[in-house]
Amino acid sequence: MTPEERQALAAEYVLGTLDATTVRRVDEAAARDPVLAEEIADWELALAPLQAMIPPEAPPPGLWDRIAATLDPASARTATGRGKSWFWPAWSFGATAVAGSLAAILLVRPAAPPERLMTVLLSSQDQSAWVVEGDRGGLRLAALNPRAAPPDRALQLWALPQGATAPTSLGLIPRESGQIRVSPSQIIPTPGMLIEITLEPPGGSPTGRPTGPILFIGRLAPAAGT
Amino acid sequence: MESEPSLSDLILLVASGDRRALRSIYQRESTRLFGIANAVLRDRDAASDAVHDAFVKIAARAAQYDATRGVASAWLGAIVRYAALDIARARGREIPTDDPALGDSAIAPEALELLDAKAEGVRLRACLLTLEERIRNGIILAFVHGLSHAEVAAKLDEPLGTVKSWIRRGLLRLRECLA
Repeated sequence: MTPEERQALAAEYVLGTLDATTVRRVDEAAARDPVLAEEIADWELALAPLQAMIPPEAPPPGLWDRIAATLDPASARTATGRGKSWFWPAWSFGATAVAGSLAAILLVRPAAPPERLMTVLLSSQDQSAWVVEGDRGGLRLAALNPRAAPPDRALQLWALPQGATAPTSLGLIPRESGQIRVSPSQIIPTPGMLIEITLEPPGGSPTGRPTGPILFIGRLAPAAGT
Repeated sequence: MESEPSLSDLILLVASGDRRALRSIYQRESTRLFGIANAVLRDRDAASDAVHDAFVKIAARAAQYDATRGVASAWLGAIVRYAALDIARARGREIPTDDPALGDSAIAPEALELLDAKAEGVRLRACLLTLEERIRNGIILAFVHGLSHAEVAAKLDEPLGTVKSWIRRGLLRLRECLA
């Protein structure tokens, strides 16, 4: 390979115009040829600013769970059905404690409806948490240790029923109370429904889909004791 | 608020097996990265597959990341683009180039101004502007939308052989300009 050929091949590899067979050949060659590998790395760096031309777009809400399940199939299996996600091992003790005390509160309530669903939404960075309860009367969200969103941002609540491709907005979380009641006409809580809170512009997502990062997430499951 | 770890720091943590660091990267970057995958695939399900495959690779390859060699966000973006291109190739890239979702917005001259956000981008933009417009457009279409030579040719309504040599010459000229 002449230096010009090598350079052009590296450039087209990074640009993405090569066919599958040639890409495989370049991959194999680069594994043996450090000069070619270096050329590819240089081109990646040179063309990377073009990434800025591509508009960002929110991924579907279940995607992280899928990635996590691929990477750690064992932990994903043991956590399913417990109403909390597995990927915060450091907080799991706290989550269990919170869920436990909540179950105790639920138990002393008289005449619980037959199906009561709940989940605790946790963040990975701090210990703030939200409790979501759902039944035939709709869905209720309450803050356990309220922490308001930054002044120029709003927290928006979403629900994704199992099998759905797009989440439904349940509204913005009021800054002061940190509580929302969602009527059953808006959403019927079902087991396995994913509930999440995203960080959005002041008036809420302009697109009707989450645009900001997911701050809190949890999955509705039957409450213990019912 | 305490200062957040940089993306580079997080990648180093991922290399040590820290899953929460990987999740932080996802939280911070997934909107940008999903956009990159969907620009290539124009299909949210396929773009999800690409981001999934890319994060599995990021977990496996984090130890190969060399912070002295480049920008962390560019490294992540490249892995996602390759994952999306692999899926596009496996599908035979049968994506029609008259797809209305494949807008001309990426090659509108003002879109290039988005490059000015970073110093490397300012240089690349200046070099892109030295190229003939159709060559520049061919390169941008290929990068942003993951088009093959044949698809760029169809989109620009030029013969395949011509487009191939344009792009090749354009890239080499770009390289000289950036050097």
